Amino acid sequence: MDFTSVFGDFTAMAPLIILLVGALLLPAVQFIGKRPTATWAVALLFTAVSLIVNMMMLTDGTSYTTLDMYTYVAFTGIMVLLFQVVLFLAILVSNSSVETTRLHVGAYYALLVGATTGMMFVAGSNDLLTIFVGVELTSISSYAMVSMKRKDPRAAEAGVKYVIIGGLSTALTIYGISMVYGLTGTTSLSAMSTLVLDMNWMMAVALVCMIAGYGFKIAAVPFHMWAPDVYEGASSPVSLFLATGSKKMGLSVFIQVFLVTFIAGSVLGAEATEGLQYLFAIIAALTMTVGNIVAIAQTNIKRMLAYSSVAQAGYILIIMAVASEYAVSAGLFHMFTHVFMKGGAFLVVGALICAGIGEKISDYRGLAKRSPFMAAAMMLFLFSLAGIPPLAGFTSKFFLFSSAIGGVDGVTSQWVWLAFIAILNSAISLYYYARVVKAMYVEKGSSDEKIVVPKAFTVAIAICVLFVIVLGVYPQLIFDYCELAAAAIF
Amino acid sequence: MFIEYTWLVPLIPMLCFLIIGLVGRKTPEKGGYIAIAGALLSFIIAALIAYEYLTGDAYPNPVTEQIAWFQIGDITLNLGYYVDGLTCMMMLFSSFISTLIFVYSIGYMGDQGPRKTRYYAEVSLFLTGMLGLIVSSNFLEMFIFWEVMGLCSYLLIGFWSFRHPEGDAASANAASAAKKAFLVTRLGDVCLMAGLFVLLGEFHSLHSLDYVTLFDPSSIAAADPEMLSLGMLLVFGGVIGKSAQFPLHDWLPDAMAGPTTVSSLIHAATMVKAGVYLTARAYPLFIQNADVMLFVGIIGGVTAFIAATMALNNMNIKKVLAYSTISQLGYMILALGAGGYLVALGMDMGGAEGSALVAAGVAGYTAGCFHMMNHAFFKALLFMCSGSVIHAVGTEDMREMGGLHKHMKITSITMLLGSLSIAGFPLFSGFWSKDLVLEIAMEAGSDGTVWFTVLWILAVITAFMTAFYMFRMWFMTFMGEEGHASQHCHGESPKTMTVPLMILSVFAVLSGFFIMFGLDAMVSFNVTDTAFIVGGGHSEGFYYFEELFTNPYTYLTIVLALLGIGIAYLMYVKKTVDPGRFNRNGESWLYKALSKRWWFPDMYNQISWKFGYGIAKGVNYVDRQVIDGTVNGLSGAVVGGGDAVSKMQTGHVQDYSSVILLGVAILSVAMVAIAMFFGGM
Repeated sequence: MDFTSVFGDFTAMAPLIILLVGALLLPAVQFIGKRPTATWAVALLFTAVSLIVNMMMLTDGTSYTTLDMYTYVAFTGIMVLLFQVVLFLAILVSNSSVETTRLHVGAYYALLVGATTGMMFVAGSNDLLTIFVGVELTSISSYAMVSMKRKDPRAAEAGVKYVIIGGLSTALTIYGISMVYGLTGTTSLSAMSTLVLDMNWMMAVALVCMIAGYGFKIAAVPFHMWAPDVYEGASSPVSLFLATGSKKMGLSVFIQVFLVTFIAGSVLGAEATEGLQYLFAIIAALTMTVGNIVAIAQTNIKRMLAYSSVAQAGYILIIMAVASEYAVSAGLFHMFTHVFMKGGAFLVVGALICAGIGEKISDYRGLAKRSPFMAAAMMLFLFSLAGIPPLAGFTSKFFLFSSAIGGVDGVTSQWVWLAFIAILNSAISLYYYARVVKAMYVEKGSSDEKIVVPKAFTVAIAICVLFVIVLGVYPQLIFDYCELAAAAIF
Repeated sequence: MFIEYTWLVPLIPMLCFLIIGLVGRKTPEKGGYIAIAGALLSFIIAALIAYEYLTGDAYPNPVTEQIAWFQIGDITLNLGYYVDGLTCMMMLFSSFISTLIFVYSIGYMGDQGPRKTRYYAEVSLFLTGMLGLIVSSNFLEMFIFWEVMGLCSYLLIGFWSFRHPEGDAASANAASAAKKAFLVTRLGDVCLMAGLFVLLGEFHSLHSLDYVTLFDPSSIAAADPEMLSLGMLLVFGGVIGKSAQFPLHDWLPDAMAGPTTVSSLIHAATMVKAGVYLTARAYPLFIQNADVMLFVGIIGGVTAFIAATMALNNMNIKKVLAYSTISQLGYMILALGAGGYLVALGMDMGGAEGSALVAAGVAGYTAGCFHMMNHAFFKALLFMCSGSVIHAVGTEDMREMGGLHKHMKITSITMLLGSLSIAGFPLFSGFWSKDLVLEIAMEAGSDGTVWFTVLWILAVITAFMTAFYMFRMWFMTFMGEEGHASQHCHGESPKTMTVPLMILSVFAVLSGFFIMFGLDAMVSFNVTDTAFIVGGGHSEGFYYFEELFTNPYTYLTIVLALLGIGIAYLMYVKKTVDPGRFNRNGESWLYKALSKRWWFPDMYNQISWKFGYGIAKGVNYVDRQVIDGTVNGLSGAVVGGGDAVSKMQTGHVQDYSSVILLGVAILSVAMVAIAMFFGGM
């Protein structure tokens, strides 16, 4: 289908425009109809339409450009697809969750959709300033969403913390961008990619400020400390949105800003980029290690998932160190599998909260008896996160780690040590995942009563289970597109 | 025409798993018959495949076929099957023994009600894992089935964790045993995975991980020998975990917490055999370095010895069997290591002398595989007999048994046959394979390195201990005075349990003779300049009689075995020798060491769980408190305010901000330093 006849010069932004219209309409729909379910349905509809349009554009394979500032290539398409899937899952369960606000339904959906629009805007931007605008759109919407939770004072606190830390990060980012602009005289990514290579101490500080600012988004160590508090305080659909969606936006920025520089650097044979790559390798190793080790000591399942999320971000950061085409496609694929496994785990937590089960791991005792489906799904998600075959998490980790070993594309790399740290980490991680499985399947619960969870949750979880299995045994389904996306950058 | 359908062998149990999982509760025996039918069907197909392959034209070249599964970079990963002599033997005995175990389960698990559905579904999946592992055509496919099996073992060992027949303490015990098994074997799996990555890197120019390409001598020659050795050592790490070798052997005795049928399945037909199988399967890569094989041999010999010592004074009937499994697995690994060592030396040396060494060494391969098969039969038998006893008396403690022979004659006699076989009584199956194992260790000692002579001595002592502890177990259970529990014995177990026992006992006695009828040719390992091929060797036939009975060392082991049986008789039936005299009534240092399993469990606890968890707690504390606190002092004033909201949860928002700023500062310094290091500035 030819979208240019409908969207004209703005075809590159078509999926984004559809969602933006939705975001603006939703408060009105709620105001007029006063029926949360109807608002929910409209939000879902817009998401679905946008998703379909994007899939058609992605499979079509044409690139579009709008006003020299937004480019739609395979990389944009795959990132946008990921954000849409996250949004779809988050909206799907929002109406049935007992945690979601009932006072500001219109605003809630509008913020959710608006935040996604921001992410999608980032994925196609080719200028530091437009990226900054997209990130801020997402951040500011997220601050509000985090505090919109019913009957829980922790939400307000989490919201305030998120705003303060977020504000600091924004300040660092814009400081970094201003320094880059001062040094190079441009904010266009393609123009600055070679100029950045002329490294001096000011440039180093500027880049580190940007790494810190966006590192906050992906919760990389040492910028990770807000994540457990916020994920714990926010409602489960919002935690899901932040852990699987917003984090990927940060990674997308890293790929767009830094990876492009690395590529330019390797073409010119500049040594400065290698220093940056080492910096990322150290951050990756720290992030996965701290995330996994601290996760062991957690007793609250949301906090445990938050730290495990930190660790997963560490795995994905490997691609910034390795910086090969294959690594990027593996990283993109891992981002996708992460959506389904981590998203699925948060969905199970959310569903169980609706059924009156707490957030402590000890509350999950005997779950296998009380709700076989939920327990089985949770087990699959956790084992997938731990990287046990034949689930999706294994396949994507296999791709990711083998890219660091360097055997796959025939180039031996210096990142073997990073791969070994990652493998060790994924062994450690099994310990805390197994603890939850043990609680569900092995320990005796206080009650044998069957649990009923809302239908929407069951559907969303079933979708995640399906993809966790399918992507495990047939990775080519998405991996082909990830390869295209990686090729679009290189 | 059947070989094309090799993929059905693992697929059928997989389908059974799905069917039982979905509708099993509505079928008679809650899915039990479906599981049996599936295993039996797999066995029949395996038999047809084996027949077709062994009589076909392709033999002894492996028959392999694959379809592309997915592609990463320029490497294609395939799904497929790989049939050679080793595959045939493994498929046959795994599916055959599993079928018998499933039949036995009908009787043994009969009173478990609706939970049987879960049981039968899980054992079917377990069998899928093993059969899939056996027929896999490449390392990645193998690894996936390897992990599936690990997962199932976790679920099955923890089967009793709700409402154990023996109460809550036993439930908790089952739960922690399951977790231990999972995590300890997983430690090995991590090594295996790392090993696969190394292989992937080393063989990247071949664009695949298929056995058929990797085992080609020309591709092996192209690889960097040092990296290959590293890769194989890591792969062997996986074997150590899965086959419960020293120092990761400790999970197996704990895994006894599962139902006895599961133990039987894990010990005889599946799971622990996977490690030995992998060593045999990857033999062409292992034998490239003599030092790697020496390491393999040492691990095997030490395991055989240490495990046997721990069985000497154990009072739990299942645990004695568990230690004997570890010990016997050690024998298999020792045989593979010793044989491989000679082959590696011979290939290095070349010439006529080298060929002679290679020819001597490949006997180790046959001995290891042969012992694996014999062990499968007699160990399945022994476990099922112990299950029958436990079923009848309701305890696992041998002190409460005794005098059971008159209550349960079939169990008693079949178990006696199994014990004679494992003890190496002449002409029983264990005798043949164990003596071949000892012979190859001896040979590696005389032609290779003195290390193997030491291992040979350990192995001979182990043979003596095996005979002693097996008969100690048999006498304590079936002979002597009736213990506390024996008085409540229900009598012989039902037919579904005793018939499999009788069938297996026939094999346990006679399977040793298979080697006279061509088994040695089927699992022989042939080294030529152009290929490493399993199968197609020359069968020695009845020459083994001559070879073993003209060897003076054979008589040494026979005498030692008889001596072990005799001492056990004097101690536990005649009571003329008081075991208390040797251990100062349980007060001696050695007795305590053995009861404490040489302190391995304590060591694990200290090192891994407590220490590891301590680190986690420590890092958590540092993450939350110390860094926060320190930074607070340094730069708390930078971001003021927020006090009112920050105290409720664990973290202080101003501290988080400080950490970020500190992080930026440190990273900037690091960045500048790195940039200067790389000369970019």
